[in-house]
Amino acid sequence: MSHSVTAHGAGKLPRGLAVGLALAVLFSGALFSLATGGRSDVGLTDLWAPEGIAATVIYDTRAPRMFAATLLGLNLSLSGLILQAATRNPLASPAILGLNQGAALGLSLGLVLPLFSGVPLQVMALVGAFGAGVVTFAISGGFTGRMDSLRLVLGGVAVGAFSYAMVRFAFTLEDELARSVVRWTVGDITDIRWPAVRRLALWGLPGLFAALALSQRLNLMALGQASAQGLGADSRITLLLGTLIAAALTGVSVSVAGPIAFVGLVVPHLAKLLFGGDHRILVPVSALLGAALMLYADGVSKVLTAPVEAPVGVVVALIGAPWFLWQTVFARDLS
Amino acid sequence: MAYTFKLLPVFSAALIALASPVLARDITHELGTTDVPDDPKRIVVLEFSYIDALASVGVAPVGLADDGKRDRVIAPYIDVIGDDWVSVGTRKTPSLEIIASLQPDLIIADKTRHTAAYDTLSEIAPTIVLDSLGGDYHASVAQMAAIGTAIGKSVEMEARITAHKATMAEYVAQIKPKAEGIAAQFGVTNAKGLWLHSPRSYNGSLLEMFGFDSNMETADGAVYEKVYVPTTLEQLSEIDPDLLLVGAYADPSFVDGWAGETLYENLTSVKADQVLPVTAHNWSRLRGMLAAEMTAADVVRIMDALE
Repeated sequence: MSHSVTAHGAGKLPRGLAVGLALAVLFSGALFSLATGGRSDVGLTDLWAPEGIAATVIYDTRAPRMFAATLLGLNLSLSGLILQAATRNPLASPAILGLNQGAALGLSLGLVLPLFSGVPLQVMALVGAFGAGVVTFAISGGFTGRMDSLRLVLGGVAVGAFSYAMVRFAFTLEDELARSVVRWTVGDITDIRWPAVRRLALWGLPGLFAALALSQRLNLMALGQASAQGLGADSRITLLLGTLIAAALTGVSVSVAGPIAFVGLVVPHLAKLLFGGDHRILVPVSALLGAALMLYADGVSKVLTAPVEAPVGVVVALIGAPWFLWQTVFARDLS
Repeated sequence: MAYTFKLLPVFSAALIALASPVLARDITHELGTTDVPDDPKRIVVLEFSYIDALASVGVAPVGLADDGKRDRVIAPYIDVIGDDWVSVGTRKTPSLEIIASLQPDLIIADKTRHTAAYDTLSEIAPTIVLDSLGGDYHASVAQMAAIGTAIGKSVEMEARITAHKATMAEYVAQIKPKAEGIAAQFGVTNAKGLWLHSPRSYNGSLLEMFGFDSNMETADGAVYEKVYVPTTLEQLSEIDPDLLLVGAYADPSFVDGWAGETLYENLTSVKADQVLPVTAHNWSRLRGMLAAEMTAADVVRIMDALE
């Protein structure tokens, strides 16, 4: 791989070591996720040649959950990476731009309003994510080609706050409905099975290739909207494609697990810290690190408040928020 | 003078006798002690088990938290309390404005749901707070006695409780020989999860009283951790009861979605065809004496059918 993009700044670690570390973290995270769960009698030693109930538990409940965590990490970190590059805003992420909350609003409307009872919840989530994205970008002036960074974040916060206020209204409804909505909107992957994994993969893997295809355009965005335009990459098209990919990845993720914040915000920054600014490398690396973060969060979610499982979205926030704070205070790329 | 002194005790006794009907009484409850009027006429109740208490002694509330759905108050209660009550909204977030507008002289609230609103409720009317949601069956019966005292009907309430205990003893005598050695578990399921009612819950303690075993260990924690426990299929496979009683709030329910999965099909209760539906509303929400009797009748029916 050439170093033609040194202008983006190289990472701090030798690349081989960094990739090796990331893979080691991913692999250990996967083991952690597989070794923990509702049955205390199925653990690490059962992962090799499991039989009887241990085999059933691992193949039918823990493996799909492990893959779901992996794909959710991939989807959300790619959404964040693409949004940060396409909007040239280091704060951009599915949660900050309101996509997560929009998807959650879509879900809640689907659960609460009889009008939408025939519409599959995943469609409601996707429509909600797209809708929130479109409104946020319209507020920021993104569709006119002159996106205002500050207006983007403010617009996203406003759209997110509005959507989530509507979602929280549903919490006050009667118990069973409120519990359903809370379960949907807290970021929860307990009892995930293979069909949900297939759905995540169906969107996530094409999303990964689409992000790779878009990576050169994302690199050009870093030069500035005018320069990108001059080099033949219309920034509005990059933004539109990026938003579509990010909204699709976010929408499918929310439809499976509910909104999970911080993955999309934190992981791209960690990847840039380790690997520099070339998006042709950042795309696969962010996917890898996002997956690793989610796998660890899944493992922790099962042991933190055992025997009751903590929602994975809460655990991600517990890991992601302090990291983001550290990044804000000490790292250069947010200053 | 001598007369006056002689008459003083008589006067005093007369004064006390005259004064006592309007004297407030102190009722000790979960959040302290409250002065309650002697003969409250306008009562607002915020849990279904308190309706059971009022209906037990023939008192109708002016307002009740029926979750905005009047059919959640079952017919045997309506037969006693009529249907003139004003709905004050959901049990979880009752409308304080509607409660205030009813000008109640007594409010009966729940510890888990309404502790945060206790001060506001107390400004509206004397409020007593009992642990309906988080308490077990035996606590529920004790609460009935407390409500009886609070509404000035302790004699009638004691009679009802005595009759109830006799009824339950008959049910227990019927069920106990058949329940021996069977681990039974009750849970409710909606579209998004399964919540098992632990041995600390109303239903869990009832099943224990009927003589069933429980395989469920109870952890410490909040009400939705130790009493109503969210449970995954993997966790259920470890608890693995012999008899699984499921109250479904959704059709198809979350538990229905497990059908066909190896882990589910290998549950002891599934293999023995002993996953049985019960009425979620009556079992899970009512938590009164009538609810206990209905639950017991259900269990008698279930055990007869299993034989």
